[in-house]
Parts: sequence; structure tokens; C-alpha cells
Amino acid sequence: MKNQELVDYLMSCGVCKVCQLRYLRARGSEYNDIHKSLQRLGVKVTEDQVEDEDNVISTDEQPLKKPRLSHCSTCLGIFSEDFQRELIEGIIASEFGKYDSEGIVLAITMPMSLQLRQLSMWFALQRKFGSTVHSNSPPDVPIKEAVKLILHPIICKKLDKKYDANGLVISIDLRHKVEEEEVDKLVELNRAAFPGKALRRVEISRGLLEKQYQPSRVKAETFEKYLPIPPTAVDESLSLKSVDLQGPMVCVAGRYRKLSRELSHTPWLLQGVRQMEDSIEEIIIRSVGPHFTETVPKITFMSSGREDVDVRCLGKGRPFVLEIPNSRRSTLTREQALAMEQAVDTSGKVSILNLQVVPREQAMNIKTGEEQKRKYYRALCALKEPATLEMLQKLQISESFDIQQKTPIRVLHRRPLHTRPRTIYSVKARLQRDNPLVLVIDIVTQAGTYIKELVHGEFGRTTPSFSSIIGKPIDIQALDVVGIDLDWPPEVDNSVAE
Amino acid sequence: MAATADPLEPFYFEHEEQQRICGKPVSPITDGFDANYPSVVDRFFTRFYYIRANAAYQVLYHSNRICLICLAPTHPALAQGIASLSFDVGNVDRSQNVVKGKAKKGGMILQADSTLALLTTETGQIYKIPSCIRGKLVEVNAALVAEPKLLEHLPEGAGYFAILLPKIENCDLIRESLLTQEQYEEHLKTNQEQNTEHLKTSTEQKEENLKTNEEMLIT
Repeated sequence: MKNQELVDYLMSCGVCKVCQLRYLRARGSEYNDIHKSLQRLGVKVTEDQVEDEDNVISTDEQPLKKPRLSHCSTCLGIFSEDFQRELIEGIIASEFGKYDSEGIVLAITMPMSLQLRQLSMWFALQRKFGSTVHSNSPPDVPIKEAVKLILHPIICKKLDKKYDANGLVISIDLRHKVEEEEVDKLVELNRAAFPGKALRRVEISRGLLEKQYQPSRVKAETFEKYLPIPPTAVDESLSLKSVDLQGPMVCVAGRYRKLSRELSHTPWLLQGVRQMEDSIEEIIIRSVGPHFTETVPKITFMSSGREDVDVRCLGKGRPFVLEIPNSRRSTLTREQALAMEQAVDTSGKVSILNLQVVPREQAMNIKTGEEQKRKYYRALCALKEPATLEMLQKLQISESFDIQQKTPIRVLHRRPLHTRPRTIYSVKARLQRDNPLVLVIDIVTQAGTYIKELVHGEFGRTTPSFSSIIGKPIDIQALDVVGIDLDWPPEVDNSVAE
Repeated sequence: MAATADPLEPFYFEHEEQQRICGKPVSPITDGFDANYPSVVDRFFTRFYYIRANAAYQVLYHSNRICLICLAPTHPALAQGIASLSFDVGNVDRSQNVVKGKAKKGGMILQADSTLALLTTETGQIYKIPSCIRGKLVEVNAALVAEPKLLEHLPEGAGYFAILLPKIENCDLIRESLLTQEQYEEHLKTNQEQNTEHLKTSTEQKEENLKTNEEMLIT
């Protein structure tokens, strides 16, 4: 089979120039200049064809052409210039402009008719050219692949974006008026071609079409009872059914400090009833979320551990990350970040720092080595009798020691009972000058230590405890987290211009 | 001067850092001190009582429904002196209790009158410590077996015999079945005179205890 013969035959079946190239198995860059590629492959291009087709792959603005009477029988016009224009217009008419993502990826869903038509042409070529056309490897570059090779670069260029698998996903659903009729025929065909399976009510999917519908599995004669060989040209092109946009996942990190002793980490519900008005999560998301997305409730808040409702978090604060799906913006300027930090400050309860967009793969830093991290605390403790020199000396510990801590009663109803070993790295107690019952104790512990229980010993369930160390009852009245040794995210001073 | 120097001088707290958060200086942690701060028991538990064989037991009921079973401060064993404690109550050893997972699977199921432990006083009297409530045994306080004398002077709650977890749906009934602090004090008042009588008839009480020894234990 000579290329010229093939092209002549395809032309007689109403196949467009791009599809002719597909059947010549053209690769990548060969689609850039259809005319030249055809010539290089030894195909004569007649003048009227040149005039007719030379704009097909053009990326320049062209005046609107009159609709053609006939569209390619194999691609239903997916590669035509008119269709490209419709596609671009459809994307621009969507909320595409609201996304600043530099990368895009197209996900095009094509009518099943397209696959059926490829098969029909496959049969036709076998009839025409005999055994030179294989029965189990298609004679053409599949439409899906051709779309990637041809449409993707053009759309990217027209929209001034780059291809990026992690970028904005543009999902395009295409339809064609012949689809319904052809799918009905396909259902009948399926019953005839795979009688056993039809009984099991196999749903006809695109995957099934791809797998089962090959000349090696379906006879041309069976196919032809329902659908024509070769496929017939159509008078209408494919059209857009819908354009859906899914922005990339953007991760925003920072550190938070918490001033209030009446603020939960995340919304606190007890039997469906809200226990506290606000939460750290909500205060932060309220100021940061709307910049990135309209679907603020879909944002996930993560932090490197958490503190109890009544515990302040001071010092450099606790690292956190917001995972923002379907994000419209992927960047944050220092000015914008500063404005958000200031907005959070107005809560008077929470403050954030070092706010920045971070690479998605770094977001998991926050959870790594959580158990190994050191945590720094300051506790306000109360004695029942005035502190003595001996007590204070016992509570100056610079060498680390291990404690055994049973699951605290306050969480025992919802967590398993375990006795966990925890390391206390140092203890430093100081006395309030005007009240000998009041101790301020700085504690460095392994993450996961329950500090309140470490102080009072919880009826002997944490041993040793500060209470057992001094041999006297001691209670904790207030606790501050003063440091978390995670050097992430990087420090950024958003009040300094870039 | 040196002779009169305060030995605690090196240990006094100074609020050193003047950190500002949300545009205001962070208050020193000592500002939060409250001289009348309630105890751990007062903060998280409600005191209930259960009377058995004229001896009172205390149930510390946590806001999350976990219960600690203790001796009431008026329990006669405290005056008699504690000699020993055993979780081996005859047909089963409570200290062998094992629980798994959040649901505390495998924990012994106890009824209010199930014997939790046996307490022997220095006068030779044996008290069968009742479970006081219906629930699942989560933990026993094994440290008390080694040092039963602790019971006499441990602070409130620390002398708990066991931790029980009642079913949510039983909680209302359980609280109703127990004496509140008020009812307990009322009970103490009205039994003041009878108390002396009971001491006299302590031998009778012992016999009664033996009778109920073969109670059903659902494990």
C-alpha cells in the first residue's frame, strides 16, 4: 500500500488532512505543518486542498470561515480550525480567567462515536488493502494521542499557558448529534457480537470499546449490520457539552500563636452541639482561604501537634499547613501575606507568621518525626504548702529521665488504655516572689507527653510526676507552649518588601 | 548581709520576655493564678456514694462518664487501719483484667454489687469492695496491693481501686442509683446514732458478708 493510495482512499471517504496524517502514522512535530509533512511522505497536495486545509492547524487569529458542508468522517471535525475556535471560546467563557495557574492540563471526554468510527475505518482499510492492515494493532495514531499531540500545544499556546500535569485541569466534555443514534446501534451490535456477555448486562463503556472492539474480536460483517463501513461524513462538527475547571492543590504554610485560653484547635462539637464560638482553624482559614478559592469549606487545616483548649501557644508558634484544593491562585505576595497576618491579628486570639505558599510535597514535613520532636512548655503550678528549698532543688532537673504515663482519664473514654514511656529532657522550677505557693516550671519533653498529668501525677497514673518527685500534692493551673522544635516552614518576614 | 540572704533568692521567677502578639504584650503566666482554684477532683468529677453493709464508697464520676471507685472518707476500714488489699476475689482475679482498643474490649463486665477487691483491716475484718456501678472494668490500681497503707493518707481520688467505664445509655440510671454528696451527708447525719449500734453488731455483719460471697460475677 502506497501512501498516495491510502490518502486517495481516505479522501474519498471524507477524511480530513489531519486524520490522513494520523493514518500515515505521523508523529509529534509532523503535525505542525500538515502540508509539508504530507509532501514529505510522498503525497501530492492539490491546490484546492491547500486552500481548503491550510488553516487547520494555524495558531493565528483567522477570520471566521463559513461552516463547511461536510466534516471529517473519522474525527467528526475535532481537528478542524472551527472546532479549535469553539474550544478556546468555550474555555475563555468559563471561569478560566479566575485561575492564575501557569500550568494546565486538558482532559477531553469524546463521544463514543469517535471510537466506533475509527473501528469502521479500520474495517474499511482492511477490505481495501487486505492483509497489510493488521487485525489487532490499529492502522492509525489513536485520536486520544493525536489530541495530545495536536490540540494540547495549540490550546496551551492560545491560552498562554504551559502543560503541567499538576496544573489547572480543564475537563472538556464533547458531544455530537450522531452519538445517541450510534450508541443505540452499538448496544444492538454489542448484543450480537458478544451474546454471552450481553446477557450479563455489561454496560458499554469507553474502556470496553477500546478493549473489545477490534477486527480480531468483532467481525466486519456483524459490525456492518448496524453501522456503515467506511464511516460516513457528517454535516455538523463536534460541539462542547461542558467545560469544568479544577484548580491545582495549593499548600500555604506558616506558624500560629494562640493567646486565648478559651479557643479550640478545630470546631469543637459535642453531640452535634457547638461548644465554642470559634477555633484556630476557622480564624486562620477565614483570612487566608478566600484569596485562593471559592470553596473555602474544602480547605484542610493541619498542624504539627495541637494544644488543649486552655493552653496558650507562644514563642515562635506552631507550624501549620492549609491544603487548598481547587485553588484559583497559586501565589501569595508578601503584601498579601502581611495583610492576612494582620487580619488574623484582629481576632485578638490567634496570630500567624511566616505565611507562604509551599510546594505540595513539603506539606507533609509537618507530620514527620512528630513523636521525636522536643516540646517546650511553661506551667503555672500551685502547691498546698509554701515551697521549700528542697522542693525547688528537686525540681531543677537538667538530665533527661523517663516517665510512664497511662492514657489520661480525660481522654480514656475515647482512646485505648496504654502505658507510654515518655522522656522528660529538663525541668526548671521557679518561685513567685510574693507567693510561696506559686511555681513557674519550664519543661522540655518529648512530643506526646501529657503535661498536666506530668505535674499532678493523676492519682498516681503518671510516674514519676512532679508531685511524686517532691512528695507533695502539686496542681497545674495554666500551661503555655513556648516552643516546638520544627524548623519548617522557613522564616519569612512578610512586613519586609520583596 | 550574707547571713540573712534568702536561700530561695536564686529561684525567684522574673517575667523576662516582653513578647507582643496580636499587637499586645503577652501577659505573664503568673497572672492566671487563682488562690481558690478547684482541685482536680472538683474540676472534672462529681462525687457520688454507694452504701453497702453500712460502709460508704465513693464514686468519682468524670464528665466523660469514666468512674473511679474509692473508699468514702467515712469508711470504717480507714479507722481500723488497712492491712492488705487483694483483687483476687475468689473466683476471679480482677488484676488480670486486660482491655484492648478504644472500646476497652475484653474488660470484665461488673454489676454494682460485684466484688471488686477484698480489703482486710488491722482488726481482721474483711470488706468486700463493691463495684458500685454497672460497667466495664478498665483498670485496677495495682500499686495499692503492694502498699495498702497508702489508702489511709493518699489525697482524694489517688486511692481509687479501679476505673470503670459505664455504657452511655446506663449513665442516667447509674447516677440515680447513687447517693449525691448532699444525700450522703444526710445519710451520715441520720445514721449517726445507729452507727454506734452497728459497731456492736459487727459480727452479724460479717456473717451477712459471707452469705453474699457467692454472688454472680459476670465476666
